[in-house]
Amino acid sequence: MVSTAEAPPAIATADTPILERLRPLMLPTAFAAGVLLAWQAVVFVFDYPKVILPAPSDIFAALTGNFAEIWQHTVPTIRDTLAGFVLAALFGVGFASLLSFSKLLRDAIYPLIVVIQLVPKIAWTPLFIVWVGIGWQSHLTIATFIGFFPIFIAMMAGLESTDRSLVRLCQGLTATPGRAFWLVRLPASMPYLFAGLKIAITLAVIGVIVAEFISASEGLGFLILKSAALLQTDVIFAAITVLCVLGLVFYGAVHAGEIAVRKWRGE
Amino acid sequence: MNANATLLAAAEVASSAPSPGYVAIDQVRKIYNAGTRHQVEAVAPTSFSVKAGEFVSLLGPSGCGKSTLLMMIAGLEAPTQGSISVAGRAMTSPRAETGIMFQDPTLLPWKSALDNVLFPFRAMNRPVEPEIVERASTLLDHVGLQGFHGHKPRQLSGGMRQRVAICRALVYEPDLLLMDEPFSALDAITRDEMNLVLMKMWEEHHRTAVFVTHSIREAVFLSDRVLVMSRRPGRIIEDVRIPFSRPRGLEIGETIEFNEICGHLRSKIEHRPH
Repeated sequence: MVSTAEAPPAIATADTPILERLRPLMLPTAFAAGVLLAWQAVVFVFDYPKVILPAPSDIFAALTGNFAEIWQHTVPTIRDTLAGFVLAALFGVGFASLLSFSKLLRDAIYPLIVVIQLVPKIAWTPLFIVWVGIGWQSHLTIATFIGFFPIFIAMMAGLESTDRSLVRLCQGLTATPGRAFWLVRLPASMPYLFAGLKIAITLAVIGVIVAEFISASEGLGFLILKSAALLQTDVIFAAITVLCVLGLVFYGAVHAGEIAVRKWRGE
Repeated sequence: MNANATLLAAAEVASSAPSPGYVAIDQVRKIYNAGTRHQVEAVAPTSFSVKAGEFVSLLGPSGCGKSTLLMMIAGLEAPTQGSISVAGRAMTSPRAETGIMFQDPTLLPWKSALDNVLFPFRAMNRPVEPEIVERASTLLDHVGLQGFHGHKPRQLSGGMRQRVAICRALVYEPDLLLMDEPFSALDAITRDEMNLVLMKMWEEHHRTAVFVTHSIREAVFLSDRVLVMSRRPGRIIEDVRIPFSRPRGLEIGETIEFNEICGHLRSKIEHRPH
């Protein structure tokens, strides 16, 4: 008696949140499925040539049919993006930390970095190819270069924004500047750092693809250019699909890191 | 050589002479942006002393330089003129034996209440022995935070956070406690509670204390002595001994004597020169 009386509200409360929770996922998924269907229908009805606009089914076929080749080109793109991103994070965090210890250095260097930041950094790509050579070295360098700025600037902002009273507390407790940095300023700047990391990971992919456009014998950028030359439009779309997935996974990984840090911070 | 020896002997006589106070403020003056068009005299030449174990309040209107004076005693600001000594040593930089409470609790948001209380040990790079954790836990229990040791500051109310800050200022057993309007951001009821908590902790630990406030009643309730400061540039214009015995309860606030003292202090604050 008691259990049946309690059962209906239990089902109702367990039911509604699931639908509510899936809503933000379901709606865009349904909309994307609709667009793909419409695309498929338009190509079918108007009989567009595959070389101009392949249907989603053609792209899927190109993806599965050429999977070995596409994967072979995906690996170097992942490698160069991740390595460039990690280096950018190390340099960005390290350099910002260094400057946070010296007002003189900060006043001398920070404005210059802000000015360089205003220049479209992708324009430097050919220069890096001249300097470090064609191949993965220049791809890695441009990814590092392009990812460095948002991380550095976010980290600077984070270190500068540290609650002044917390810094005073450390001074009052006779903490050394190094200890105050490690215990207070570094953890306090984490939310800023993640904002920078999210921008940097997206830019690092762009940097690697552009570098692969200019000079490469491997990578998704190279595959896209080669397929364009051979008029294999479906393969271009397949490569772009893989890039979409890569971008999502990279961004998701940084986001997961951010959530972990927020949890640790008690938010 | 001879002159040097005489100087040394004179210095020895000076240091062996009875110290004027545990905290001695001698003709201390603070001018911000000295020598520029934006020069501001925050503290006019001021002298006073605090005896060991005494609870002294600095009472004055906002912006009168009382916090600046406190920060100079903490060693966080340097006086423009004059000198400050604590426990017989001239203050040139913060000393590890001073506990400070700020207007905000200034807790680390990512650390639990207990870890925040232990923070001074990490900041000073001292080992956190089990008995220190024990001491921190006991302090938290004494300010009424049983069951909240693992809570992050975000999960605590304003009053609870300031309680954590009291424990943090006491945990390393400082000989001097400096408090800069620690309860001014709290509502009146919580403020009364915090005054009681602070009173209890101070009576248990009996440190020398300097407390900055702009609340007359708070100053009278807590202190052995209240020093009234003038408007900027701040200087001491009144030194009032508070006669109530300890332990004190909130009910002393209802007595005629208490209210007469408050009235006297209020008249001093309002009858400012110029």
